[in-house]
Amino acid sequence: MNKKLLSLALAGALGLSLTACGGTASTPSTNPSSAPSGAQESAAPSENQESDLQYVKDKGTLVVGITNFEPMDYQDADGNWIGFDADMAKAFAESLGVTAEFVEINWDYKVMELDAKNIDCVWNGMTINDEVKAAMSVSNPYCLNAQVLVVPADKAEDFDSVDALEGLTVAVESGSAGEDAAQALGLSTVPVQKQADTLMEVAAGTSDAAVIDLLMAGAMIGEGTSYADLTYTLNLNEAQGLESEEYGVGFRAGSDLTEAYNDFWAGCVADGSALETATTYGVQESVILE
Amino acid sequence: MDFFTSETFQTVLAALNSGFLKTLELFFITLLGALPLGLVISFGSMSRFLPLRWVTRTVVWIIRGTPLVLQIIALFYVPGMQKWFNWPSGESGRMIAVCVAFVINYSCYFSEIYRGGIQGVPKGQQEAGLVLGMTKRQIFFQITLLQMIKRIVPPMSNEIITLVKDTSLARVIALQEVIWMGESFMKGNHGIAGLTWPLFFTAVYYLIFSGIVTVLLSRLEKKLAFFQ
Repeated sequence: MNKKLLSLALAGALGLSLTACGGTASTPSTNPSSAPSGAQESAAPSENQESDLQYVKDKGTLVVGITNFEPMDYQDADGNWIGFDADMAKAFAESLGVTAEFVEINWDYKVMELDAKNIDCVWNGMTINDEVKAAMSVSNPYCLNAQVLVVPADKAEDFDSVDALEGLTVAVESGSAGEDAAQALGLSTVPVQKQADTLMEVAAGTSDAAVIDLLMAGAMIGEGTSYADLTYTLNLNEAQGLESEEYGVGFRAGSDLTEAYNDFWAGCVADGSALETATTYGVQESVILE
Repeated sequence: MDFFTSETFQTVLAALNSGFLKTLELFFITLLGALPLGLVISFGSMSRFLPLRWVTRTVVWIIRGTPLVLQIIALFYVPGMQKWFNWPSGESGRMIAVCVAFVINYSCYFSEIYRGGIQGVPKGQQEAGLVLGMTKRQIFFQITLLQMIKRIVPPMSNEIITLVKDTSLARVIALQEVIWMGESFMKGNHGIAGLTWPLFFTAVYYLIFSGIVTVLLSRLEKKLAFFQ
């Protein structure tokens, strides 16, 4: 019995030591946000003092994390990334003397993508909120957004005011600004993975309504889509008398790229190129020109 | 009929095809890597050198005991966050990381199938080899290996068909395989947004491909049936 216990303990110890030094293969159970060990901690500050701007300039590319999101970042017929955000990102990269490289990411992991240096910025109509500000260095806002209520078209007139929403089950993207807006109204929410999934909930009748971005609702529902029977009725920001939401560009926490971007954006507003690009993609009403 | 010739269908099909090429790339690289690596791991887990056996079995336990999707996320993000190393930038880095995760994961499953196959060969076969004066190496390659291969084809087929479908987990780190591409038309891709059918249409790709794999593997099984 004792021998068995001893061998079990030994096996466990060996396994642990393997996890500790074996590196990548054996780390699946490691919580990525858990505190690093001493050695890594001492290495971290010197890394942070390095200029992020210099890092990007040295490597010659600004890797821009995006999702396919018309009219901000989307592909033309030849597969080139265009859109208001994409064009501004290209211009920003050019101003730094580097080229912009676009990479599609899983939106849930945008902070990890930045921290792991898989991307250098998140530039994809990102709504500025407290979570984002805590985890990234966020630029000055450049665009306005609102949350809207999406309902089946034949029931649209029933949902024309905030009071009519009592008792509704609303699908929202988990962790999105839409979820915050729905919860502020005291609605019971069904959090799903993507804004696109909320629409499938409404179309399938598994939720009564969905709350998503105005810009996205414009592109995803109505005629010519699989959601021809859906429409959006209420602008929740207006209905609740809230301020509009704002879009910002996210950089690594503590990055000096943010300052470089803010200067760049001010220059674009001053010389009119920001408005010009916004007009190209039909977002001139939303863009913030101050 | 108009639907299948429409520009929308052609665009979606082209996108799904490009996604499915990624799926296939991941599938074949995983097989190429995991089939031999699994055999090496199975030797480790059968070793008479106890520490090696324990280490190997612990690794197999960890890999088989945690979700593959978690292993992919950890393998892709943790090295950069801990400043160990960075994966190559762009989509190639994602493909490499996913391939590494799949090869490690599947070789652990394969190793157990190999172990079962090797240990399932009757001991009399090895004893016969010894009597004939064969070395251990000769016994393994000329007697055990072939009988082992014959035995493991059915469980291997199972695992390989699971692999066809598991490739879809790679989209968690935004590898643009076929389901990612199918989903992309819900939110918008190539100017097409709000379509749900492309997602469900990806099933056709999986069905056809796993059908082909099934036929090939059952042929292999028949070919190896000469011992009966």
